[in-house]
Amino acid sequence: MTPRTYPRQLFWWIAAALTVAAASLLVVVTPASARPPAQETVKYCLSCHGDPSLSMTLPDGETLSLYVAEDDLSHSVHGQVGIECEACHNDISEYPHPAIKFQTRRELSLSYYQTCEKCHSTNYEKAQDSMHAQAAAAGNQDAPICTDCHGAHDVRPPDEPRSLISETCGQCHSQIVETYKQSVHGAALMQDENPDVPVCTTCHGVHNIQDPRTSQFRVAEPELCAGCHADKELMDKYGLSADVYDIYKRSWHGVDVSVYKARWPTIWHDSAVCSDCHGIHDIRATEDPESRVNSKNLLSTCQQCHPSAGSNWTDAWTGHNQISLERTPFLFYVEKFYGSFTPFVLWVCVIYVILQIVRATVDRVRSNRP
Amino acid sequence: MSGKNTDHTPLARQERSFLRFTLGQRWEHAILLLSGLVLLLTGLPQKYREFSISQDLLSTPEQIFLIRQIHHVAAVILGLVVLYHLGRILVLISRRRLPGDLLPTMQDLRDAWHMIQYLLFLRKDKPKFGRYNFEQKVTYWVVFFSIAVMGVSGLIVWFPVQVTQFLPGGVVPAAKLAHSTESVVLAIFILIWHIYHVHIERLNLSMFTGRLSEEEMRTFHEKEYQRLTGQPGERQ
Repeated sequence: MTPRTYPRQLFWWIAAALTVAAASLLVVVTPASARPPAQETVKYCLSCHGDPSLSMTLPDGETLSLYVAEDDLSHSVHGQVGIECEACHNDISEYPHPAIKFQTRRELSLSYYQTCEKCHSTNYEKAQDSMHAQAAAAGNQDAPICTDCHGAHDVRPPDEPRSLISETCGQCHSQIVETYKQSVHGAALMQDENPDVPVCTTCHGVHNIQDPRTSQFRVAEPELCAGCHADKELMDKYGLSADVYDIYKRSWHGVDVSVYKARWPTIWHDSAVCSDCHGIHDIRATEDPESRVNSKNLLSTCQQCHPSAGSNWTDAWTGHNQISLERTPFLFYVEKFYGSFTPFVLWVCVIYVILQIVRATVDRVRSNRP
Repeated sequence: MSGKNTDHTPLARQERSFLRFTLGQRWEHAILLLSGLVLLLTGLPQKYREFSISQDLLSTPEQIFLIRQIHHVAAVILGLVVLYHLGRILVLISRRRLPGDLLPTMQDLRDAWHMIQYLLFLRKDKPKFGRYNFEQKVTYWVVFFSIAVMGVSGLIVWFPVQVTQFLPGGVVPAAKLAHSTESVVLAIFILIWHIYHVHIERLNLSMFTGRLSEEEMRTFHEKEYQRLTGQPGERQ
């Protein structure tokens, strides 16, 4: 073997190895992709359940439709990947079916939704830790289960379009969603399907939704809002300041809240967080005359906590703005003064004392020398 | 406030001492020192809330309330001392008996210039001082104006709602910044300037004992010594 032919041989070896690798990949992939989305049972079940008039009467007198639209199934996220009826209806494996043991339609849903856990265990468990699960545990049969938000036969991506999320929550929380739709966030979502504004789940979480009325939620709120409002790139897009959170943190309210968050998150504290002044679901742009922080309404907003505040009071609030001569002249001059006065005092003291020590030491050494 | 030669034993010339501060002045200083210290120690954790040691001190909402109460009580005590001090000045002025020893003069500027030359090895001799040298006058007036700033701004942040009934709202955040910054400036000044002069340069306890020895008078307040005794100072 001459050194010249060696590279050519190597080429063939590599080609052969790649062919084997590709072939073995095919062997692995082929069975999965070659298996047709058989929908065998779907077709079989729909031979009866495709009849829109098929129904039965439950023991409580309610009529339960047994019709399943083929369209719902085939367009659902499950239908598209070939998941079939018995995946969820795992108690039915033969015809005639065993007798239905549920007294009510809700009982049936509460039983079947538990099969979601088989595949979606993480989100299922999260949901068990939620405010909704607590309501269910307290005996509320209407507390939402998976299928109430996601649907049963027609499970679709929950955020297409994005506004669907808020519509989903609005099925129960209709008043809040109506208020939200009037807010600066909700209006942008409803009108333009804005991709940046928060929808319900942005602030409340998705499956493990917690009670937002607790002190823990309250003291964590500034950081929640800061998730977007301290993001400079995002705020620039809408001409908003991204400094609001930093300035808040240094303010009287913000310092209080941060200490409570660090030390006693479970103790309720009244020092203002974002929503106390800006509103919760009804947040509006500051320029909006209906905004609680619009200059027209600001005093009455302050008076919620500072009832005897007079008309000069609102100027005591620097409004999340950097110190400036136009907006906060007193603060501006005080800061300017101390900006030079503090280092001046410090350096005069330090230099003077050092010179004194040097001179005194030199004098002492000299006087000791004969 | 005038010094007196109080020792009449002719034999004990070295033990002769001079009254520097009256008992009232020493009490003023002691209360100022204590209330100032309490104000600083209860104010710093409120200013630097983000430090864990502050949060340890302000470990419960009740502790915050307590610390603020202590701060306010100390502020009231200091306020009373200030009122007494100012009142006494007014009384002395009305009786035309207020000594002008603490007022800044041109001689202080000359002394300071002389001292700078001495410190830079441009002169061999230190300036000769009267009853209060320019360093002591600087101490008095810096503390005087600091307390004025702290007092006014402190009252504004203590009673913001009442104050904004007649003052513009903008003074509240300005007062908060001034109160918080001036406290640190004053603390730096006392710790470096004042502690050096009364403890390190020499141990000067006359503010507690009320007296300076003849030796100290001749060395550090030569002109005053001459004025009181008619005798020349040590270095003449």
